[in-house]
Amino acid sequence: MNESQFGDKIRHILNQGLSLDSRKAARLQAARELALARKRPEPVGVLASAGVWAGNMAGDFGGWTGLSLRLLVPVAMLLIGFGAIYTWQQNQRAAEVEEIDAQLLTGDLPIDAYLDRGFQNYLKTRAAEE
Amino acid sequence: MASRSELSAFLESVERRAFKQAVFAVRDEEAALDIVQDAMLRLAEKYGHRPAEELPLLFHRIVQNAIRDWFRIVQNAIRDWFRRQKVRSLWTTSLSSLAPGRGEDEDQDPLETLQAADGSNREEAPAEQLERAQVLEIIEQELARLPARQREAFVMRYWEELDVAETARVMGCSEGSVKTHCSRAAHALAAALRARGITL
Repeated sequence: MNESQFGDKIRHILNQGLSLDSRKAARLQAARELALARKRPEPVGVLASAGVWAGNMAGDFGGWTGLSLRLLVPVAMLLIGFGAIYTWQQNQRAAEVEEIDAQLLTGDLPIDAYLDRGFQNYLKTRAAEE
Repeated sequence: MASRSELSAFLESVERRAFKQAVFAVRDEEAALDIVQDAMLRLAEKYGHRPAEELPLLFHRIVQNAIRDWFRIVQNAIRDWFRRQKVRSLWTTSLSSLAPGRGEDEDQDPLETLQAADGSNREEAPAEQLERAQVLEIIEQELARLPARQREAFVMRYWEELDVAETARVMGCSEGSVKTHCSRAAHALAAALRARGITL
């Protein structure tokens, strides 16, 4: 006898032992009814297809409340994200300007030297050489 | 989307097998009933909107997870109990000598108050029926003795009639593992039944 035949025989025997006493059967029935009561209501009539679409859009929330939540939450998150990135960039730019200003003010060279075209060319060629 | 009647019919068709499988795993009928109820609620609440054909795999997976959750909870409870017991043992040993004796209760015969199982007073069943019941009981005992993963794989494949790929999805392992578990379970079960004088 191979494994599959053996499994079939076991299944046959196990299926004969599925009768339960009335208390356990009643308990399972009560559990089933409780589960059915907790199931989400089915969409009805012409709204069925719209309901399926809304259900897909709304995920686990269900209905129009879920739909609006599902759409509004990501949009709000996106806007907050953009705002945060913009603020961060502004801060970064301000910090860079401050750093350059500080270097200029604390350097040995006078500020006017940076306005000299020849000195700028010298800096560029030196940077290119490095 | 599974209708209410489809979900009801599905649950009715699987609840007894699920209960038996939970009993094999946890060896406690009350806990097994809780596990099945928990699995039914989880299926209806979280997956009640899924198509009817997806329900069997989802339900088996939920039952297996509920069984694992149960073991985790029991392990934690046992750990807590031992922790509390450490503290209490000091008090119980010192106060035990002051506790009253059992007195009259000792004269009671437990058989006088023992309730007979339902239907146990019926007239004796035919020998064939008795033998079948004994074989069933032995098979259930031996299934319960198998290592958990082997039993899961064997029961899913041959009792729930899932194919190897479906069983692998329910168990969260590879198809190769399912085949190995099934083969080992079948051999161990066959050997155990043979040792107890049962030939199928």
